[in-house]
Amino acid sequence: MSLSSRMILVLTTVGLISGGFLAGVAKLTKERIALNIQAEIEEAIKIVVDDAEVSTVLYEEEDLVIYREMEDDGQLAGYAIQATGVGFQDKITLMFGLDETLTKITGLTIIDQKETPGLGAKITEWVAFLQFWEDRDATGLLTLRKPPVRTPPELLATEINSITAATISSRKVLKIVNLSLEKVRGLIAEGKITSEEHDDH
Amino acid sequence: MELVAIFISAVLVQNFVLYYFLGICPFLGVSKKIDSALSMGLAVTFVMSITAVVSWLINNLILIPYDLGYLQIVSFILVIASLVQLVEMFIRKISPPLYQALGIYLPLITTNCAIMGLALIAALNGYSFVETVIFGFGSGIGFTLAIVLMAGIREQLDLSDVPEPLKGAGIALIVAGIMALAFNGFIGMLT
Amino acid sequence: MTTKTIRAEYLKGLWDENPVLRQLLGLCPTLAVTGTVITGLAMGLATTFVLILSSLVVSSIKKLIPAQVRIATYIVVIASFVTIADQFLKAFFYPISEALGPYVPLIVVNCIILGRQEAFSSRNSIGRSLIDALGMSTGFLLALLVLSSIREILGAGTFLGYQVMGPWFKPWIIMILPAGAFITLGILLGIALKIESKTKRS
Repeated sequence: MSLSSRMILVLTTVGLISGGFLAGVAKLTKERIALNIQAEIEEAIKIVVDDAEVSTVLYEEEDLVIYREMEDDGQLAGYAIQATGVGFQDKITLMFGLDETLTKITGLTIIDQKETPGLGAKITEWVAFLQFWEDRDATGLLTLRKPPVRTPPELLATEINSITAATISSRKVLKIVNLSLEKVRGLIAEGKITSEEHDDH
Repeated sequence: MELVAIFISAVLVQNFVLYYFLGICPFLGVSKKIDSALSMGLAVTFVMSITAVVSWLINNLILIPYDLGYLQIVSFILVIASLVQLVEMFIRKISPPLYQALGIYLPLITTNCAIMGLALIAALNGYSFVETVIFGFGSGIGFTLAIVLMAGIREQLDLSDVPEPLKGAGIALIVAGIMALAFNGFIGMLT
Repeated sequence: MTTKTIRAEYLKGLWDENPVLRQLLGLCPTLAVTGTVITGLAMGLATTFVLILSSLVVSSIKKLIPAQVRIATYIVVIASFVTIADQFLKAFFYPISEALGPYVPLIVVNCIILGRQEAFSSRNSIGRSLIDALGMSTGFLLALLVLSSIREILGAGTFLGYQVMGPWFKPWIIMILPAGAFITLGILLGIALKIESKTKRS
């Protein structure tokens, strides 16, 4: 066999074996990977909306997904909003919950971020930041309280707490929420989502 | 994200060398003289811009439509390796002076993780075609900036009294650390 | 090529030819994923998996590959195992795979792996290549563990996520920033060189 045909033969064989092998591996792992991604979202929803069991996507665009959450018995549990926006360093993806009337925030959690470790990354774990999102007013613009307070009653209903040494990242999170809320209100006004519980079909 | 933001971020904020730690080998190896560092930087910028285009085409016209995501790593690395070869032959043919300036750096680029990193990160971030091109070009400029600054500092370091065990890579990494710290100041300028 | 005992073949990767500390190879992942011990460990193990299997495959098919296409063949073999490692982490260790981000696929351009195929597995028996790959991986893993332990303990006051420093300790945030990676590795390289020159002299 000539050298060039041997070269082609070897490369083709190696390519085919590797391609086939990888296709097999991909088949085995694909479902699990999809489940992992879905589980991450479901977990985030459970954090921000109490008793959420069944999710339906109400509205979807780039960087914004709105889910309607039902309890086990078919009662409306609330709404979950997944939003992505620019953080201090890179994109931040977060999930926050709204109550049945779409007027109050029920909680917030960060799904994905690449903020500075030890500083901006505190947005994922800072209790006095994350816990204090509950019961914020979703009908207008929210503002940042700085310096941070120690207990939720010290905040106005339109205020969220800031994080020491991570003010900019907390402001970025707030901005993403404010933008999403504005869109949600716009969608309500257009009648694309309704706060009352009824089935369109 | 806006195009300007992507560009500035690639150059200053998420610098390939100082933030992603990609292209460390040439960053340490070819940063002893400013002019060779500049040539290396330009060669990388050139290849990165082309890689951005080609990898986007492969990913969005072949891998995603045919659900072949599992071939991404294999196809990217093969394409980059052959692309560098082609670029080398092409430059040698049409512009011998340019080849003289960049030629010896091109083969080094094949195994440069910055190029593969560029293709992967652009795909991971889901950039559009134009965004990918800006990202590729900006990342190359960012690499050039880092390696030229490094060479400038190292030319001065030759004259100073560095402890024996730190000479070479050791002190270069420590200097890179201080540079990374300085570049931290650029974070947040996109707000 | 000198023939070494199996023991020496393994041990050379730990110190004399340690890929990170002595050969300055694979610095990108070494710097990038050592902010915490768990990511450093995961990267070390994933690289070990790819290096060992690639060495086994390359050393067993070395006679069939024409010299002109050997690099291309190595790259395909390595890229295939990297893909498997990537999918495996995504499927079974999703949070770690998220934390490692693009650095798992980037194992494909880790110069340690291609370097060992070219310098060793393509010229040695399967058994010897396996020992060499084991030694190099252990050396790489050790370097990652040392660097990530220093960075996590000083940068966050924790080890593998467990608090190890007392309440008096204020984390040195610089250690988990990119700057800390560069500076710590620079100092480690200096220390390695110092130890080496001391042992050589005596």
